[in-house]
Amino acid sequence: MSTTSTTKSDYLLLFRGNMWDRGLSPEQLQKVVSDWFAWFERLKDEGKCAGGHPLEKEGKIVSGKQGRTVADGPFAESKEAVGGYFYLQVADIDEAIEIARQCPGLEYGAVVEVRPVAEICAVKQRAEELSAGQLAEATA
Amino acid sequence: MNTEATTGEYMLLFRGTQWDKGLSPQELQQVMDKVTAWAEGLQGQGKAKVGQPLGAQGRIVSGKKGGLVADGPFAESKEAIGGYLVLRADDLNEAVEIARSNPILEYDVTIEVRPVLAECPVFQRARSELLSEAVA
Repeated sequence: MSTTSTTKSDYLLLFRGNMWDRGLSPEQLQKVVSDWFAWFERLKDEGKCAGGHPLEKEGKIVSGKQGRTVADGPFAESKEAVGGYFYLQVADIDEAIEIARQCPGLEYGAVVEVRPVAEICAVKQRAEELSAGQLAEATA
Repeated sequence: MNTEATTGEYMLLFRGTQWDKGLSPQELQQVMDKVTAWAEGLQGQGKAKVGQPLGAQGRIVSGKKGGLVADGPFAESKEAIGGYLVLRADDLNEAVEIARSNPILEYDVTIEVRPVLAECPVFQRARSELLSEAVA
């Protein structure tokens, strides 16, 4: 399948780590916060960021059949937990990575996950391909 | 005092990108139909705001000035996020109840339920530290 579309692609930046700000001086904290805010505003002005939000450090983990296991975090003191996200609309993954590299929290140990937003779920696609394949077999 | 401004929105993060391995085509089709019906039902009730699957590709950027750029792994992981859904719910309990009704839990998927905030807790801490310095 070829596409000649020049439209932008969507990417999610997931900010990982909920403790990188510990141990910063009030001045460092103030600087990283104002840098982060300015970065977000600039990306929005440039039309490259459609929005973003922090996530609360609390929450639940639901798992098991019928969701019978409901557990607390840990989200608060974790280097892995997602602390927030930006929704980017940019040319390609290279541009998304370039933007991720500008994150002011990187200086202090924050980690940014860059993920393309998919049009269609990979599992759904596989299910459709499999049933198309079966149909082809049946009619062969 | 809890001054965290909540938005009434909750982000569901679907973790696990290998739960579908080993399912027959019929099982796979059935579960995808159920999940689609689940999501459409929530949309119809105005409870689902936005949701999308994430591609298995991606990068992890870390280090000063983003000096380290690594590949996933996102493809075959129990931890990796395979998609997300932003809900509108009355409270965390309702969001958890909605998460629990997702048919995908029958398989090896974990759903993280996180309140979406209007303002970052780090921003709030910076502001309150400035304020206490000013008062001192």
